[in-house]
Amino acid sequence: MKMSELKAGDKALIISVQAEGEVAQRLLDMGLVPGTPFKVIRKAPLGDPIEIKLRGFMMALRIKEAACIIVEKTGEIGDGIPMGRRRGRRNGWR
Amino acid sequence: MAGDKRITVAFAGNPNSGKTSLFNSIAGTNLKVGNWPGVTVEKYEAEIAYRGYLINFIDLPGTYSLTAYSPEEIVARDFISSGQADVIVNVADGTNLARSLYLSVQLLEFEPKTIMALNMYDEVRARGITIDFKMLQKLLGCHIVPISAVKKTGIDSLLDHVVRLYEGKITPPEGKLTYSPEVEDAIAKTQELLESDISLMSRVAPRLAAIKLLEHDVTMHRIARGSPVWIRLESKLPEIMNSLENAVGGGLQKKIAEDRHAFVRGAFKETVTEREEEKKTVTDIIDSVVLNRIFGLPIFFIVMWLIFQLTFTIGEIPMGWIESFFTWLGGTAEALIPGEMLRSVIVDGIIAGVGGVLVFIPNILLLFFGLSFLEATGYMARAAFVIDKAFHKIGLHGKSFIPMVTGFGCSVPAFMACRTLKNRGDRLATMMVIPFMSCGAKLPLYVLLIGAFFPGKAAGNILFAVYFFGVLVAVLSAKLLKSTIFRGRSEPFVMELPVYRFPTAGSVLMQMWIKAWMYLKKAGTLILAASLIIWVAINFPVNRVVADEYNGKIHAIEKNRSLEDEYKRASITALENEKSAKLLEHSAAGVFGKCIEPAIRPLGFNWRIGVALTAGLAAKEVVVSTMGTMYSMKHPGEKSASLEERLRNDPEYNPAVALALIVFVLLYMPCLAATSVFHREAGELKMTFFYIAYSMATAWVLSFIVYRIALLFL
Repeated sequence: MKMSELKAGDKALIISVQAEGEVAQRLLDMGLVPGTPFKVIRKAPLGDPIEIKLRGFMMALRIKEAACIIVEKTGEIGDGIPMGRRRGRRNGWR
Repeated sequence: MAGDKRITVAFAGNPNSGKTSLFNSIAGTNLKVGNWPGVTVEKYEAEIAYRGYLINFIDLPGTYSLTAYSPEEIVARDFISSGQADVIVNVADGTNLARSLYLSVQLLEFEPKTIMALNMYDEVRARGITIDFKMLQKLLGCHIVPISAVKKTGIDSLLDHVVRLYEGKITPPEGKLTYSPEVEDAIAKTQELLESDISLMSRVAPRLAAIKLLEHDVTMHRIARGSPVWIRLESKLPEIMNSLENAVGGGLQKKIAEDRHAFVRGAFKETVTEREEEKKTVTDIIDSVVLNRIFGLPIFFIVMWLIFQLTFTIGEIPMGWIESFFTWLGGTAEALIPGEMLRSVIVDGIIAGVGGVLVFIPNILLLFFGLSFLEATGYMARAAFVIDKAFHKIGLHGKSFIPMVTGFGCSVPAFMACRTLKNRGDRLATMMVIPFMSCGAKLPLYVLLIGAFFPGKAAGNILFAVYFFGVLVAVLSAKLLKSTIFRGRSEPFVMELPVYRFPTAGSVLMQMWIKAWMYLKKAGTLILAASLIIWVAINFPVNRVVADEYNGKIHAIEKNRSLEDEYKRASITALENEKSAKLLEHSAAGVFGKCIEPAIRPLGFNWRIGVALTAGLAAKEVVVSTMGTMYSMKHPGEKSASLEERLRNDPEYNPAVALALIVFVLLYMPCLAATSVFHREAGELKMTFFYIAYSMATAWVLSFIVYRIALLFL
């Protein structure tokens, strides 16, 4: 599934980034690498771009760019599962 | 101070890491602002005496990585790779270490003499985050000093570490960054090749060189190509890269970056313990309102509207003080200075010209206070987020919003800010429309005309409408240009939305003063020069016939004993006025104004406006100062009257002319400084001519329409 298909409040994991050149570089710089858990916070008032939260910070990207990112949905709003908790433990300890 | 004991320290860090406020608190009053050579990114420097050293601090532009996509990144990486810095201070946001560490790792690869300043440590502790400093230092291979730029804690310790690292009294531990086995294998092979070249190895670290070559790094490739080892590299490197690419199944750049991220994530997990919180933060709460589906846009517009009300309504008070000061100064100078010529130069040329410019400093200060405040709080990025779709629709980028807002201050930095737009089409289209975003230097004229012809209560709203009209023209132009001559792909929108922070007074005021100082520098030199040129153009050549004729008439009245004193004075004043007007008409400025009058007559402009508009090409502030100079000539008998009153009393002015003039000044070709920057940034003479023609045509057509419509209603 693509990141652009997620709804606000959905939690997911990045599987791969199918972008080239600058888009790929920018996404990499911001830490969108495979295995990264994130949450879709909202869409902009005009419907595009979208805001996501990952690694403790918020970033915005356009739906067009989000469509390059293949994700796996892990949860949704109100399910009580914190983002990225799917694989059991978070941060390697507990 | 011993000249040989100098240390160069570069500050590097992510945008929003608090790097600038740290830099400001260290630099204090020693801050110097300049430009990076070759690019138009601001350079902040400061020299501080510390423990017997003269430390030269350089603030590198904030970046997320050291790849070479944007000019900011190129500046930062070129400086770091040039080895000019003795020590690098990596400013990291302690509350956002997971992301900050990526740049840290890249910096450490370039320069082992790096210290991490872990900023916002007060917040880190307040949030209950614990960091295993010992472990993190070992993993990264650098010393970490917790600081708080806002609370000014840990800064002495940071400076001590810088000095001790420079002196070699402390050595950073060996970093633990390793790549995946396939990549490490390729690095080892490349490194082996490189190590045979002793001269190259004396300049670059072998491991770094190998990594950069594998990453397709342009700079490193250029260095390698100029070295003897290239003969062997040329044949072997593609082989190594190909086999690695096959092994990892994809691009090397991506793989190497992913490995770095993997290391960073590992290091973060091992050393940072966060309290598991799903609680809403203050930022979440503010964003749920500010970025709300329904309230987001209205809030955006209200914020922009507030800034202009602030500029206009509050700015009026100090403006009044400055205005009365210059009126007083002019009066005093007139009484004290002997000689008609010298008096005229000083009072009508210099005081009237510069005073007319300085009076608007409060407006400019307030406007930039507002914009710096928005930037520092974090709302600016939200504004781009809220408005991106609209910009995308007209073919621009949400990031175009920031240069365009900067355009409200001055087109010069705005054109420069366009460099963050990498796509040439996006960039040129944005640059073409920036002059329609009314710059700060045009504000004085609006204030003058609105003040003179419209009621005080409506002033704020009319001013807002003027700015809005500019935006509208910009939007339509962008759409037109992007769908015709600048057709092409757009740049990606990938942007951090920083946590809201209460801005430190220091950083906002600093930005405000820097902008005001730049305006003043322009006002002090260029505008004074322009005022004097205009003064000369107005006074010369003197038409002797006219002058003698009027002097004769005045003399005759003075001599005539049969007239009453009051009648005498009135007739002399009338004659003096007529004389000034006639002389002005025959001066160089008058001749030029008359030449272009037919072209601007349909807009309701007389030749005096023609002269002012021409002078305005030197700098927009000059439109007002020229009018000031010309009107002080026209009514020598009523020096006390302000320019506003004089305009109101001039039968050739009315609200319709005022509106048409506002629209014309809003849209016509920007000042020569901005035009030359445009030319440099666009890089093509053809483009510069197109841009001049486009803005002139737009200005003429729209002023004509506004004038004709206004005549019907006003």
